[in-house]
Amino acid sequence: MTMIGINPLRTVAKKTVNRIVKAIPPVKFKTNGKMTNAVKWVGQHISSPENRLILGVTALMSQPFIDLHNRHVDERTKEVSAARTVAKIIAGTTTGVIVRYACIAAANAFTHKPGPGVKKLSTLFYPINSKITTKKLNKYINFMGTALSLGVMMFTNFLIDAPLTKFLTNKFISNIDNKKALKNKSINLPRKSLDEFIKSSANNVKGVNNDKC
Amino acid sequence: MTSAKTPLTIFDKLYKAYGGSMGKMLIHTGVIGWALSSAAQIFAIAINDKIPKEQKMFMIPQEFADACVNILSFYAVTQTFSAVGKKLVSTGKWLPENVKKHLVKKGFGAKIGKLNTNLETIIEQMPSRIKTSYGRFEHGMDVTATTIGSIISCNLITPLVRNLYASHRQQTQIAKMNNKNEPLQKPNQQNYGQNNIKAFNPYRTNGSLKV
Repeated sequence: MTMIGINPLRTVAKKTVNRIVKAIPPVKFKTNGKMTNAVKWVGQHISSPENRLILGVTALMSQPFIDLHNRHVDERTKEVSAARTVAKIIAGTTTGVIVRYACIAAANAFTHKPGPGVKKLSTLFYPINSKITTKKLNKYINFMGTALSLGVMMFTNFLIDAPLTKFLTNKFISNIDNKKALKNKSINLPRKSLDEFIKSSANNVKGVNNDKC
Repeated sequence: MTSAKTPLTIFDKLYKAYGGSMGKMLIHTGVIGWALSSAAQIFAIAINDKIPKEQKMFMIPQEFADACVNILSFYAVTQTFSAVGKKLVSTGKWLPENVKKHLVKKGFGAKIGKLNTNLETIIEQMPSRIKTSYGRFEHGMDVTATTIGSIISCNLITPLVRNLYASHRQQTQIAKMNNKNEPLQKPNQQNYGQNNIKAFNPYRTNGSLKV
């Protein structure tokens, strides 16, 4: 049974992809050139924890500025939303990367080929009925680790992410407020001293006049 | 014992589905991750005693809509980028020179760069060094395209759309609240300052935008 509504979407998506591919010019990738090696390196070294880290770093570089330049809200809202965004990114990226790394290590430990001397628990995730290749197995371990991390993150999102985001947001907002208060103080300081100076000089003048009298 | 006779375990099925493509894994786990993260944020608002009920009624749908925008843009944009990256390689438009030269030598030169070409079946017949070179390059392109796609969707499109939506919701909500309060004022006590003029309602904010 085909699902109504999905097929037209797929056709549109396919057409869009074809148009984009058609528009992109061919590029020469030298056999051992920098670009070719870079692409291959990315494929070998970037998995879900690194992907999460890259997303976090680029998010820190873009999202707060987008929030601070939001023309539809007032200054205070801009500051609060930017502070919350930074807090959310820091909390989410830190826990996300650590949990993913830990879970991939765990998946690695539980994906051993069954055999003599191998504990049953360490073969837990091993796909026993499949034709195994090292390359595919590595990707599978990465997937299992990431899937495991999603389960773990169901708890860490509530126990670590949300409270840490709240704590950091409050910290950033109080820092912004303190800086503002300091700035206002430094702006007001010369004016006060000037007033005092005028008062005191006026008193001095009075005193001199009185002396003269 | 052949694999046809033995039933596949869930791990065999997952191996088959995700052992081939890292990009697919990044997209699917990414979508689930965003959904879980948004669920946590909604839960955190729902159980927060410090937020009044009226604000919760506004913030929960807002966070839900935020999650929908996030997940949809992540899926649509990242999926498109991943598909483009893969297709650029499978059509032969972007290929390492050694693979291209080998294909030309074997008489597949005319097929390279055509939209309906799928080099994956052709590559299977090639020597292992060409297969490895093609496989690594294709995998690298898949991950690169997926990563670029997720950066664009999560860090550019989502915050822009989210901010637009959130500020619109905030202004509508404030306008509604002001309209509710209006009949309580007696006509002779009306203050015609900026704060009480209806036309200014869409431009007033109370600083409670939640992103």
